[in-house]
Amino acid sequence: MKGVLVKDLYIAGNNILVTIVSLIVLGFGLSFLLETSALLVLAPVASTTAAFISITSDAASKWNKNVITMPVSRSQIIGEKFLFYILLAIMGMITAFVPCIVLIFFGADVTPYSLCLYGSIGISATLLAGGISLPCAYLFDPEKSQIVFMMSFMASTGMIVGLVLLTNFVFPVKEHILLAFQIVLIISVIWFFLSYRIAVKVYQKRDIT
Amino acid sequence: MANAFMISGLTKTYKDFVLDHVSFTVPGGSIVGLIGENGAGKSTTLNAALGLIQKEDGIVSILGSKELDGDIKEQIGVVFDGSNYPEILSPRKLNRVMKNIYKSWDEQTWFRLLKQFSLPIDKQIKQFSKGMKMKLAISAAFSHHSKLLILDEATSGLDPIARDDILDMLLDFVQDEEHSILISSHITSDLEKIADYIVFIHEGKVVFSKPKDELTEQYGMIKCGAAQFDALDKSDIIVYRKRDYEWQVLISDREKMQKKYPKTMIVPASVDEIMLLYVKGEK
Repeated sequence: MKGVLVKDLYIAGNNILVTIVSLIVLGFGLSFLLETSALLVLAPVASTTAAFISITSDAASKWNKNVITMPVSRSQIIGEKFLFYILLAIMGMITAFVPCIVLIFFGADVTPYSLCLYGSIGISATLLAGGISLPCAYLFDPEKSQIVFMMSFMASTGMIVGLVLLTNFVFPVKEHILLAFQIVLIISVIWFFLSYRIAVKVYQKRDIT
Repeated sequence: MANAFMISGLTKTYKDFVLDHVSFTVPGGSIVGLIGENGAGKSTTLNAALGLIQKEDGIVSILGSKELDGDIKEQIGVVFDGSNYPEILSPRKLNRVMKNIYKSWDEQTWFRLLKQFSLPIDKQIKQFSKGMKMKLAISAAFSHHSKLLILDEATSGLDPIARDDILDMLLDFVQDEEHSILISSHITSDLEKIADYIVFIHEGKVVFSKPKDELTEQYGMIKCGAAQFDALDKSDIIVYRKRDYEWQVLISDREKMQKKYPKTMIVPASVDEIMLLYVKGEK
């Protein structure tokens, strides 16, 4: 699995670099308009686009056909892509922390509460979107999966709104916003894990030509 | 010597094609050539054997194991038509990827083969010609001490000189009796040069699986007119084909037929001609 991860890091290398620089610039730029910590909503989502660059590259070079003949199992191939996706999201989060920390020294109003809130929203959106788009990348052809990838972010936003509204039936969300989004985060983690299990199951039976 | 590769009753059904109980073996230390026209089922057979597609029925045994697990895959080198490596990588970066995939990856062999094939180490694969990509894929298959090479149309994109180099490499590879090769190709002349056995697949079925020497030294083609054709014992005919003014008849024993029909012209048949007669001829 390590070799496949190295391959994905090579493929996404330039894109990762551009994402890091963009997020840092955006973070400092946003600080004049919004709360800097709001970047945590955007950062993990934006950084995971590199995962789809690697999926598109795999499809174009027919790498998936080749790698199955190597000592890598189908579940490892899927597992690596999900792991790569999470690593990218974490990298996005860490990058977004950089302007936040720097701006704290300049007196910006970045609180642990806002970091947790926006971080929870960002990671939830990323995991929900990945839970839709990653299995679809192995179910559909590359063109369709790119459409699904774009739509998955819209869907994840809808799912977050839906989950928050459902939580509102249990307790008033306005009074416990952070708790509500932490519940959404837990559901997103479960969703992502289930999605991984389904993707592995589907991919085991799939003909690769 | 035990079989390095064995498939028995391999079956796969598509809407418009059936791979129908395909069976053949690759004896250890030998080169087996898989021939057949486009769409005959060569790639489907290899894909099913390698676990790329799900088989409906049949048994596949590779290097004595029915399970295609990581340890067995470690000992197989596979080359498809096309390099199938991410085009953004250079051979140097690919080396770093492969040494983290194969436990037995041999960097020295990899760089030696790149040098032998004059492949640039730091150039992206997307800048390679088709021939260079094939050489790269073949280098990768040779760089992890494979015991069995499976090549699917691997020589098709190469010029005659590069093909000859690779055929020599394949012959060197099987000098060690632990090494075996299964190679599918349209270029039957390549297989005539190196193969020990020929397996011919037509419309998803194995038509024959024979030692190459038997085909080239014993098989023959009677070229005759209508009267001579009518006089032939039909049980001697494998297949025949009627051309404008000539009948071409495939027979399995040139010497025996020459004695039986002394006035008939019998010529050796190439693997290409044998394949053509099977595909286009009548029984």
